Amino acid sequence: MLYNKDSMTHQPSGFVVAVVDDDQGILRSLEYLLESADHAVRVFTSGTALLESGCLPEIDCLISDVDMPGMDGFGLLRLVHAARPGLPTIFITGYPDTLKQLPPLSGSNPRFFTKPFDGPELLTAVSDALRDSREQRGL
Amino acid sequence: MGEGDRQEPAQPLRRELQVLANIPPSIGQRWAARILVLALLAILAATWPFATVKLPEIPAFVPSLAAALFVSDCVTAVLLFGQFSILRQRALLVIANGYLFSALIVVGHALAFPGAFSRSGLFGSGLQSAVWLYWFWHSGLPLAIIGYALVKNTDRAISARSTRLAIGSSVAATTALGIGIFWFVTQHHDLLPVTYVDVQPLSLFRRIIGGVVILVLGGIALCLLWARRRTLLDEWLMVALCALLLEVVLVSILSERHTVSWYAGRFYQLVTATVVMAVLLVEMTTLYADVARSNMLLQHERLLLERAVQAQRREREARLMTGDAVAASIAHEVRQPLTAMVTTADAGLRFIDRSVPNLDKAKEAFRRIVADGHRAGEVVGSIRSNFKSDVRDRAALDLNELIQEAVALGRGELQKHGIVLQAEPNKQLPEVRGNRVQLQQVLLNLIMNAVDAMAAKDEPRILSVKSEAYDGDRVMVSVADTGTGISPQDLDRLFNPLFTTKSDGMGMGLSICRAIVEAHEGRLWFAPNSPRGAVFQFTLRTHDSASADPASAAA
Repeated sequence: MLYNKDSMTHQPSGFVVAVVDDDQGILRSLEYLLESADHAVRVFTSGTALLESGCLPEIDCLISDVDMPGMDGFGLLRLVHAARPGLPTIFITGYPDTLKQLPPLSGSNPRFFTKPFDGPELLTAVSDALRDSREQRGL
Repeated sequence: MGEGDRQEPAQPLRRELQVLANIPPSIGQRWAARILVLALLAILAATWPFATVKLPEIPAFVPSLAAALFVSDCVTAVLLFGQFSILRQRALLVIANGYLFSALIVVGHALAFPGAFSRSGLFGSGLQSAVWLYWFWHSGLPLAIIGYALVKNTDRAISARSTRLAIGSSVAATTALGIGIFWFVTQHHDLLPVTYVDVQPLSLFRRIIGGVVILVLGGIALCLLWARRRTLLDEWLMVALCALLLEVVLVSILSERHTVSWYAGRFYQLVTATVVMAVLLVEMTTLYADVARSNMLLQHERLLLERAVQAQRREREARLMTGDAVAASIAHEVRQPLTAMVTTADAGLRFIDRSVPNLDKAKEAFRRIVADGHRAGEVVGSIRSNFKSDVRDRAALDLNELIQEAVALGRGELQKHGIVLQAEPNKQLPEVRGNRVQLQQVLLNLIMNAVDAMAAKDEPRILSVKSEAYDGDRVMVSVADTGTGISPQDLDRLFNPLFTTKSDGMGMGLSICRAIVEAHEGRLWFAPNSPRGAVFQFTLRTHDSASADPASAAA
């Protein structure tokens, strides 16, 4: 029941998506977009805020900015994967050039979106990631 | 304080070297000298009652003491010659030779001393030889001090070239004098007035006459020193002289050889010979430690300064961005609200697209899009105002200095590509009025463009940066390269935003440069360089001619 577009009452998808970006405007817009797909959303303005929030165990998918002051998206992914190996992750970035210098991200296959990105495409990527991880977990 | 005081010409800054021979003594050093003299007097007083008590003869005593005296007198002389070669004052030469004379005669005295090396003294010396050598020896220092004090009155530094000659000839003369005296006293002792018969003194008068002469000389020397004691050396020469005079009192007036006072006198000889040396060495060590310490401090300060300069440079480099970096940062600032708008619009569409559209959520989405749109507008507005340059940020600037700084910032790139820099600053260039950071940005952009244009070609790479007066109230800067140049079809678009010939460029550099120069009431244009390459030139108004309000000038 990921897309219950036609049902009369919109049931929550049952998935929790965490979004990390230092820009408040982008954070709010992504929250809105994910809500439109009936996901539960947790937003954080920095990677540290996510790690300290204690909600790491409950999230099913992570969307994160790459260039952020302090800890960048790749640093965050490394720490997140230490606690949640294989957590589906999607990166959004304003600097597609930085992806050329991407460090090897062991054991994960994150997807990348360049700002400004296409909303439906991002949502498809999220649902794909959620489906993959559900299959992996044998659900 | 009358007018006259003020009209006096300013005293030139004293740049005299601070060496031992001319530094004033500290209060502590003055007291140390006085206490030492008092101690010497106390020893004299303590020895007095036993002055005539006979002690055993020790044959090795005189030669071994003579060796010690010779060495310390020589060291003192060398130190004083060293001081002379720095300060080049004749007075120091005189006193140094006084110590040298002492060193030579003390050896002669030991050789001639009966019972030291042979029963009657070596080299045919007679009964009178040792006594007369003793008197010559002890007159040497007082005479040298008298000479030192008298010459010091009128002393002027001798020329640096004749320093070595002066030292060499005076050492030769003193040595000749010492040997001459020794020769005469040993070979012609029968011509000398008789003082000793066998080993006993002949008469009180003849025994003390030499001592009295020395005391008189010493008294004069002491008075002269006292009258003009100003330096550390003066202070300690007085101590040495006091020790010498007390010894003469003990040895030649109070008693005969191998008595308590005679042995005590030898102690005074040691004091005379070593006190100046000790002080010179101690002071030298102190001065050296000071020098080492200040050198260390200096190194430390230099390190701090270097760090500060580096930090400043890094900060400036961070602020001074090339056009592409400016463009990238503008792009980022605009991209953020744009992304939020697109994403929110997508969400809004999804809320409307439902079978039962959620209009509340859709309305909320539109409101957010409006807000983000305004945010993007603000970003664009702030960029515009950034380039408009606040008149308050403008100051009088030395354009040559700015050019130097921009070249320094680009030096790494110039070296990397083997580019030769030809700077032709006009030294009489009037100051311009402008925003320092922005004009730096213009210069750096033009220099970097030139570097990029030349990096692609193998021909000689010459960057020339020229500043000159222009059209009366303006100055012109030219940045010329020998690079690829500008093709005719690109000329029209050269200053357009987004026009670029670089594979990784955004084409913002020249348009930003022109915007900045025009905001400064100047012009920026291009001309082909001959035989190849490009020249970018811009003018700026001089500080005196620039209007306080560019808006009125533009109107």
